[in-house]
Amino acid sequence: MRTFSYVRAPDVETALRTIATEPNAKFLGGGTNLVDLMRENIERPDVVVDISRLPLTGIDELPGGGVRIGALVRNSSLAAHPLVRTRYPVVSQAVLGGASAQLRNMATVGGNLLQRTRCLYFYDEASACNKREPGSGCSALGGFTRNHGVLGVSDHCIAAHPSDLCVALAALDAEVEVESTRGTRRIPLTEFHHLPGSTPHVETALAPDELVTSVELPAPVTTRSRYRKVRDRASYAFALVSVAAALEVRDDTVTAARLALGGVAPKPWRATEAERVLLGAPATEESFRSAAEAELASATSQDGNDFKIELARRTIVATLRDLLTDRSAA
Amino acid sequence: MSTAEDLPVLGAPVDRVDGPLKVTGQAPYPSDVDLPGQAHAALVQSTIAAGRITDLDTTEAEKAPGVLAVLTHHTVPRLPRGPMTSLGVSPPAPLQDDRIRHHGQHVALVVAESREQATAAARLVRVEYAPADPVLDFDDPRAVSVDDPWGLDSHRGDVDAGLASADVTVDAVYTTPDNTNNPLGLFSTLAAWEGERLTVYDATQWPAMVRETLAEVFGVPEVSVRVLSPFLGGGFGAGLRAWPHVILAVQAARDVGRPVKLVLTRPQMFTSVGHRPKGVQRVRLGATADATLVAIEHHSTSLLAVEDDDYEPFAAGSAVAYACPHVVTADRQVRANVPAPVSMRAPAHAQGNFALESAMDELACALDVDPLELRLRNHADVHPALGLPWSSNALRECYAVGAERFGWSRRPARPRSRRDGHWLVGQGMAGVSYPWYQAPSLARVTVTADGGATVASSGMDIGTGTYTVLTQLCAHLLGLPLEQVRSDLGDSDLPEAPQAGGSGLTSALGSAVADACERLLGALLELVRDDPESPLHGSDPEDVVAAGGGLRRRGDPGRGETYAAILARHGRPQLGADGASTPAQPTELGMALAGAFGAHFAEVRVDEDLGLVRVSRVTTVIDGGRILNEKTARSQVIGGVIGGIGMAVFEDTITDPTTGRIANATFGDYLVPVHADVPDLDVTFVGEPDRASALGVKGVGEVGLVGVAAAIANAVHHATGVRVRSLPITLDALL
Repeated sequence: MRTFSYVRAPDVETALRTIATEPNAKFLGGGTNLVDLMRENIERPDVVVDISRLPLTGIDELPGGGVRIGALVRNSSLAAHPLVRTRYPVVSQAVLGGASAQLRNMATVGGNLLQRTRCLYFYDEASACNKREPGSGCSALGGFTRNHGVLGVSDHCIAAHPSDLCVALAALDAEVEVESTRGTRRIPLTEFHHLPGSTPHVETALAPDELVTSVELPAPVTTRSRYRKVRDRASYAFALVSVAAALEVRDDTVTAARLALGGVAPKPWRATEAERVLLGAPATEESFRSAAEAELASATSQDGNDFKIELARRTIVATLRDLLTDRSAA
Repeated sequence: MSTAEDLPVLGAPVDRVDGPLKVTGQAPYPSDVDLPGQAHAALVQSTIAAGRITDLDTTEAEKAPGVLAVLTHHTVPRLPRGPMTSLGVSPPAPLQDDRIRHHGQHVALVVAESREQATAAARLVRVEYAPADPVLDFDDPRAVSVDDPWGLDSHRGDVDAGLASADVTVDAVYTTPDNTNNPLGLFSTLAAWEGERLTVYDATQWPAMVRETLAEVFGVPEVSVRVLSPFLGGGFGAGLRAWPHVILAVQAARDVGRPVKLVLTRPQMFTSVGHRPKGVQRVRLGATADATLVAIEHHSTSLLAVEDDDYEPFAAGSAVAYACPHVVTADRQVRANVPAPVSMRAPAHAQGNFALESAMDELACALDVDPLELRLRNHADVHPALGLPWSSNALRECYAVGAERFGWSRRPARPRSRRDGHWLVGQGMAGVSYPWYQAPSLARVTVTADGGATVASSGMDIGTGTYTVLTQLCAHLLGLPLEQVRSDLGDSDLPEAPQAGGSGLTSALGSAVADACERLLGALLELVRDDPESPLHGSDPEDVVAAGGGLRRRGDPGRGETYAAILARHGRPQLGADGASTPAQPTELGMALAGAFGAHFAEVRVDEDLGLVRVSRVTTVIDGGRILNEKTARSQVIGGVIGGIGMAVFEDTITDPTTGRIANATFGDYLVPVHADVPDLDVTFVGEPDRASALGVKGVGEVGLVGVAAAIANAVHHATGVRVRSLPITLDALL
């Protein structure tokens, strides 16, 4: 039987020291992903460092109108927080669109950033997976690909990133604060996750000895934001496509647009091409469609996920249109 | 002699008698049972779909902590295949040779002190394979096919002539995917040998069959085998066979000389206990301009395992669904390197009805006639093949009541004519003629010194209310309050009953219980009639009724005595009687035996931009004959409709096209409806007691599921104008 040792970190300093000295250690937050992966024999840590009692649970307003979210804030607390609900509706909606109430009560913000793909081949030890066993190949190619990515994928990996929260964070220019015994640094959310390239096992910019301590959201460019998650069933399913969007319109012209996509790429996909088209364009369905076309221009598909390209375009248009027409979102 | 009339207990929507046990965690589900000294087992399954095992190294596993034994094809003795059952052959015996027939086939079983140790050691079993190229789908030219596997293909009239004479025809191909039964309760077997006596706690819908199978496979007398399944966390057909893992658990218990418990994992539930097989169906319909059906041709092909059988005559039901002079139905199965399919709630009919009732909707569109009107015009007033009157048939009433409750008359004829914002709203319907099924059954009813009664049967309650309705029935027939009747079920030592499956158990077992009650009352009456001390001494049987916990003079309830008093005076601790029921024979009755009928009316909303399908309303009306308990029957139909929603828009067991692995074998990846997907479901019962059944009962276990997929598909067409002929209907088809 595979055994591991469990230590509960009493403070951040101890947690960082432990992770720095143990070569194969993992932090345990809510456990909603790590424990599953350990059961499946995919994650095999020798040491599990329980950080769930560290004092990283605050949601605090920052000077200038931003918000700082502790890494151990539970998903359900985040979604319900008045600051989040009023300034960043897209974040609240994204969190509530994910998982189940039970999971949201356990899952943490930091853990959400680090959750791993739901690729059906990643989970199967008998399948080839470059993410799980670098160099072994990718059984998803030529396999069942309905849930796989169409943007930013490579010949080595076409897995989609599963997070809802991260899509909203990517749209909002969030920054991730990480800490180690070597010090503290900040990583833009859009640079926190890596595209697979030829190294799909390298998923984030986080060093092995670093701990995510908080996520900071800058003051919103607009509070008119929303998250649209498209999935086969009404609840408790991963996104086929999701869109996080914030839109500011003055005199029928787009003056600010923030857009990110989920379910379509190996990382939360900031839709910079679409934003570029939108900025300064008339706030019309035609502009939205042009923006969507621009963003998906580089998409590539497998047999099973071709529909995602058009679905992503349409979901972008529908989400922007809803933002434009629904005054209650303001 | 008769029983008390009109006690409110029979037919009443009483709560489940086993409800308190279940909600307090006291009901022993199979995996809850533990025995002293038990060991735990874990399966090793093949990671290829076809080929041979070239090397199987158990050295590391055997050295792992706590490991007691590793069973492989090298260690397991040659075992015979289980017997032919009334549902077909038994699965092949496990671990008999080095051949691999499907991905996920058991190749070893590790037995250890704890489940965790067994699971960990199972990972240490090294298996080397010589893989072969697997056959995974219909179109593989190497695939072996079986035509008319059950002799149910049917021909009536001249279908080509019928089609030629038609003013309007429909010719369409429908596909349905593999679905997995997925009971919530993980299947579990706990086996214990004491000498040649074997006791097995098993997740089965059919304890008597498991007993017979184990006796035959392990070469012991049936009387020395006891199989217990008093509670089950669902089955949907997966519990209708003695699967290889059951045999392995029993073999392991024999090998290690201790009780062995094997609980399947969720992924193993996808490969080890069957599934609803995928199929392709072609339906051709012909009708005259006045919407009279003149031809039905229905061909099906479904997928089958390479060395196992499964009962799936998709097309057979189309021969008797409508009055039509020219009919051909034909079924074919194709063998592939896939796990064995099994009956899954409404086997064959769930799939066949989807094709037929979709085609009927297409025909209605082509004729420009209301879909309900088309069905009424072609209603089978008599059994279409036999020409005999039905033993009961309230299908017209199902349609009428359903249409009224649903508001069908307000449905616009044209597709794509209603919307609510971005949601296109559509309505569709389907009819169901579910087949009759019945098997012989035995039961025993005993009155005891405390004045109460016990029902005893090997038949089991799959979770739908068998405990409750048998208790109600016995209480009604013996004139006892519910709380004085207990039902003991799911124990193969008790009188043999058929499987909880085929929608037939309530009628078969209920009739046997009624027979036992009648015999018991006869025996009691004999006791008192000849007894000068009894207030009923010398009574004519016609003048005695069962009421008030005993026997009473008709019209003079003060004159009589309780069962307790009768037994006490005669010095008997108890008095029991055995009852039996046998299936009715249509030729003797001059009637066609009717199963349940039903009609579903569904409303869907389809997002015009994104293709999302949401079911917003379903009205279901069922003719189930006499309903013994409207509450449990309604729950059963609601469950069926939810299963139908799953089949229509979610459920899809994915086989990897290269390896044959089931790729989505978890509840996170295999989608079933969640609460948010299930609208308020309107269920109504109509009809009269069935004339061919002693109790008037027709089963309602499956009819609720059949037709839902077609009603939803037809509603999607009405909403969007797009005809989706392939399940599940997901947004990709509607973008």
